[in-house]
Amino acid sequence: MNRKLIFFLVSIAYLILISYGLYSVYTVEATLRVKEPPKIKPENKIAIARTEIFGKLERPQVIFNHGKHEEAFKKEGCNTCHPEKDGQILFDFPKTVKKKGKTAVMNAYHDQCIDCHKKSSSENKKTGPVNCGDCHKEKEKAIQVKYPVFEFDFYVHDKHVKKLKEKIGKDDCGLCHHSYDINEEDETLALVYEKGTEESCYYCHEFGKKRGPELTAITTVAAKKGLDIRSASHQQCLNCHLKYKEEYLKKGEKEACPTECSKCHTGKYRTVAELEKIVRPDRDQKDKPFIDIENSKMKGVTFDHKSHEANSKTCRSCHHETLNACDTCHSLTGKPEGNGINVANAYHHVFSEHSCAGCHNKKKEEKKCAGCHHFIPAMDVETMNPKKETCTACHSGKKDQIAMPKPLSTAGLNKDKVKKEVEIKVLEKEFEPSKFPHLDIIDKLVKVSNDSKMATYFHGNLQTLCEGCHHRSIAQAEAQKDTPPNCKNCHMTAYDGQNLNRTRLLSAYHRQCMGCHDKMGIEKGSSVRFKEGDRCGTCHKKKVGGPTEITHIKNQNVAKQNKNNILNVWRPK
Amino acid sequence: MAGEKLETVEIVKEKDESPNIKNLGDFWNFLKKELIPRGNIGTPFNVISLPIMLLGYVFIVLRLAYGLGKPVTNLNQEYPWGLWIGFDVVTGVAFAGGAYVLCFIVYVLRAEKYHPIIRATVLNGFLAYLFYAGAIVLDIGRWWNIYNPMVGNNFGVNAVMFLVAWHFFLYMIAALIEFSPTIAEWLGMKRLRKILGAMTLGAVIFGITLSTLHQSGLGALMMMAKSKIHPLWFTEFIPILYFVSSIFAGLSLVIFEGSISHKVFGPQIDEEHHKSYDDIVIGLARICAVAMFGYFFLKAILLVHEHALPYLNSTMGFWYLFEVIGFVLVPCFMFVSGAQQKNLSTIKFAAILTMLGIILNRLNYTFIAYNWFVPLSEKYWPAPMELIITASIILTEIWAFRWMVNRMPVLRKPPAWAIEKH
Amino acid sequence: MDRRNFLKIIGSGVAGAATGNLLTPGRTLAKEGTSAKELYGILVDTTRCIGCRRCELGCAEVNGLPIPDISESKNENLLKTIRKTSDAQYTIINRYETEKGTIFVPKRCMHCNQPGCVAACLVKAMRKRPSGHVTWDLNCIGCRLCMISCPFDIPKFEYNKAMPRIQKCNLCYDRYNNGVLPACVEVCPTQALMFGSRRQILDEGKRRIAANPDKYIEHIYGEYEVGGTSHLYISSVPFEQIGFRKDLGTVAYPEYSTGFLYAVPFIFVLWPIVMLGMNRATKKSKEDEGHHEEKGKH
Repeated sequence: MNRKLIFFLVSIAYLILISYGLYSVYTVEATLRVKEPPKIKPENKIAIARTEIFGKLERPQVIFNHGKHEEAFKKEGCNTCHPEKDGQILFDFPKTVKKKGKTAVMNAYHDQCIDCHKKSSSENKKTGPVNCGDCHKEKEKAIQVKYPVFEFDFYVHDKHVKKLKEKIGKDDCGLCHHSYDINEEDETLALVYEKGTEESCYYCHEFGKKRGPELTAITTVAAKKGLDIRSASHQQCLNCHLKYKEEYLKKGEKEACPTECSKCHTGKYRTVAELEKIVRPDRDQKDKPFIDIENSKMKGVTFDHKSHEANSKTCRSCHHETLNACDTCHSLTGKPEGNGINVANAYHHVFSEHSCAGCHNKKKEEKKCAGCHHFIPAMDVETMNPKKETCTACHSGKKDQIAMPKPLSTAGLNKDKVKKEVEIKVLEKEFEPSKFPHLDIIDKLVKVSNDSKMATYFHGNLQTLCEGCHHRSIAQAEAQKDTPPNCKNCHMTAYDGQNLNRTRLLSAYHRQCMGCHDKMGIEKGSSVRFKEGDRCGTCHKKKVGGPTEITHIKNQNVAKQNKNNILNVWRPK
Repeated sequence: MAGEKLETVEIVKEKDESPNIKNLGDFWNFLKKELIPRGNIGTPFNVISLPIMLLGYVFIVLRLAYGLGKPVTNLNQEYPWGLWIGFDVVTGVAFAGGAYVLCFIVYVLRAEKYHPIIRATVLNGFLAYLFYAGAIVLDIGRWWNIYNPMVGNNFGVNAVMFLVAWHFFLYMIAALIEFSPTIAEWLGMKRLRKILGAMTLGAVIFGITLSTLHQSGLGALMMMAKSKIHPLWFTEFIPILYFVSSIFAGLSLVIFEGSISHKVFGPQIDEEHHKSYDDIVIGLARICAVAMFGYFFLKAILLVHEHALPYLNSTMGFWYLFEVIGFVLVPCFMFVSGAQQKNLSTIKFAAILTMLGIILNRLNYTFIAYNWFVPLSEKYWPAPMELIITASIILTEIWAFRWMVNRMPVLRKPPAWAIEKH
Repeated sequence: MDRRNFLKIIGSGVAGAATGNLLTPGRTLAKEGTSAKELYGILVDTTRCIGCRRCELGCAEVNGLPIPDISESKNENLLKTIRKTSDAQYTIINRYETEKGTIFVPKRCMHCNQPGCVAACLVKAMRKRPSGHVTWDLNCIGCRLCMISCPFDIPKFEYNKAMPRIQKCNLCYDRYNNGVLPACVEVCPTQALMFGSRRQILDEGKRRIAANPDKYIEHIYGEYEVGGTSHLYISSVPFEQIGFRKDLGTVAYPEYSTGFLYAVPFIFVLWPIVMLGMNRATKKSKEDEGHHEEKGKH
């Protein structure tokens, strides 16, 4: 009997396990989808995880409400929690860490936080938790707290300069700016200030970027001291703000000298257009310097530095290493300061972020420009023979003279040759012929070009615009002929199996036209437009009751007379 | 079997009662006589099984008329193989492995201890393959082309399926030859019986070779589903796993079926056989235990070999562990303990667990751990019609088995003139 | 041992060896002896596809499948879910939202160089033609092993028919024999699909990637995946983001079953010999044998 009972119970157990197993196995797909960790608004909170010290955390991270603590210790000041050095508050935490290593840091956190909470509690004040789980909350395990980077743009810089002048009556850039003398043996004397050498904090305090030899050495020192851009900025900015906050508050300026996290880290950034009118800091830069490299083969370039300043958010867009001229580090044949990059590449490398040609190339990706420029390959000066006009646009050899071409105009066009409307019916089958508003498009492109100073400068004349679509035509040759530069002159109707690079006519039209509309963000006539209405019909209406492209294909199955035509084209021997 | 009367006459003095068949007419008359049901028709088993069988036949007609789509089966594009292939064919073949293992033990290794059950097992094997071939015909979508792998000039010799198909066919013939002496005894054809008896060893060896290959071949079919089978189950050595598991799957079925047969056909079986039966079961339990232990070790080694250990900590991992520990390791120990203590009920329980484990294992490869990452809405479980048709096929096979055991010397002693030479 | 037994033993051994040789896979890699010089395929440029679905339309019309409705409003709703090919659609378009915007991806049979489906087919209904097309034939028995063996889950079965077929793209093999392009290539307005020899389209794909390094990622899907396929894809975003599996490996799928197939002749020859040996080794002496005969055991 006993045995029978055991067998019965075991059978029941197995049945339950089988059913449960099958159920969980059948629904396993739902568990495979990875959940995105929730992001919360920063709101003056900080996520304490310190994974760079602790590695994989044993307990969940602590979401620390810094704002509350700041409010509570307004009178006592930041040095209640943060260490001080030479009268400056270092915004590190914890205040003191006795030894190195995970345990010491953990104990330092616990000692400082919990002791203070215990103390307040014993004084019957409203205070924070002392139990492990009340700070290390399980449900806050995966939360991400990210503060948007604060951009100290020219507007803010200008405000600081003006406020300082207001306060002390003169410009004293040394209050914030300094540089590090790497050759100074005594570290305490290494930080110096020399007027006329003011630069961005990012040069020395931004780690992880590729730098020249001098800056690499300096950033190594900064890294050792833990002075990344975050620490350095907080140390530099907050101490000053703390010092003068009261003063400005008394004057009635409540928003001056912000110390709360979210007051600076707003996530709002000014655009280039908004900063255009702000006066750039003065470092004795010329408005139109003449760049002439000794022993170079090309004529000198008069460079409109002032207008380029207005078109950049920071000087570092171009002055990526120091706030000096490019040829300081980049010589004709390359030197160590410039990481071996010679001056030709420094100015002309098409894919660099800092070179002239590179930045201009990047600009071509903008909506207004990309319609044509997406399909025109970037010209690499060394590998493709450039036209003389392309070079002489900049290399004029004339000092203080920038030859600005006139705005484009369609006034001089021969309306007989340059048609107002072109009817495309060479591929007519399933759709009606397409009526292409040729002149309207030229007018539009002319307007787009004239609206941009850079475009006007580089486009030069109207024929450059024609090459946007008539991309392999030579304008001078076309001008001498009576027949227009049709797409079908080069693109075959039939599929060209020998030259897969050159698409057939159907695709040439669709990719050129729709591609341009796509890149320029013109919804009508673009390829992505899933609203009601007939996408194809925007350019060509479907023929009612006429032969469809599809039935034409079906007929091809039996129409062997087509065989030879297409066979020779795409079937290689 | 209720109602069956058997004359107990001394062997030496037994009259030669075998039918005298000289021509086709005689055969036809004899067959008609044999087709008359004996015994009670209204047994509970009959009453339950007959409606299911008839319903199944109706559904089979529906399947032929409407194809394999809903509502006949729940098969879909994600799960091309379902209950019929997974259970009827693949699991059924694994269970029929008892035939080749036992033939190996009795005819090659000459372990006479297991001789009493050999005929029933071979009959089971033959019927299993016969009916599962039928199940295949039912499952493949274009069944009118079924002869294509057999005749013609379009043999896909690179296909594992081709090998499996041919082996099925050849093994059916081998099993038939192995069983044919019994048929000859039933028909009283003495000369034929002699010839067939002499062919037994050849058929057995051929059969074991074929079995090895197609048991593992069924596993090899899944080798190209590497991207769809969960890494815990998929390994390069699936064929070997299938082969080893077919050993203890078949023997477990022999134990299970044997215990039922002994109850049902008890009166047919003579004293000696009854006495030795317990020993037989214990012997089989020992063989199973060894095979299962080896299988378990293989699985453990392959887990490490395929770097699949990290997968154990997941839903599929728990299912895998449940299958391997609950249905391989636990029955293995139960077999050992049952054999030690000579406790048949433990052994029988272990046999049932093992059989469940094999079903689970084969179904895992077919539609549970196959395409395991597919959402629930696209998953497959057997449709009611599939289950009924499967049940009717199995019940028909049981009816055929019963018919043959009652008329042919499967469980009872053969006529005196039948001399076994091996 | 008498003559009869001896002959039986030799006979079974020879039979085993003969059948083993017959079934030895001479060409287990599903490669047919090709007289054609080239494999043909299609280069799919996912940056050019605009999701108009005319390829679906053309394919349906040419293959006698139900014509899909490719009007704008229909497309918008249809493309919200990721679709699969079906027994009535050999090719479908899927829409993916990625960091580089909306990308449309045509999905159809990859026409692998060494297809798993061809290796799985026991009646050679699935065949790799010398020209690279993987086609299905009517001598199929409907066992559906090809569906299990395809890493891309392409062959689809007509479950709801009494006379079902396996449906998948066959690269318009009939049209190829008539010297015309596949229907989808013919219809595509932007030449996102490009037909040619595998060598040519591979070169073109590499040329496009090299000429536009910022536009494409440096990988041609299908160049080496599962031993190489004839449908090659280039993309501007990593392929996992547009519905391709990256874990399929570069081993051709038939190679996974060659291990087993190579073992077959060994087992066919060795097993009978070993078992015969065991049978002889365990044979008792003649006296016991006679004793057996008398007892009439079965």
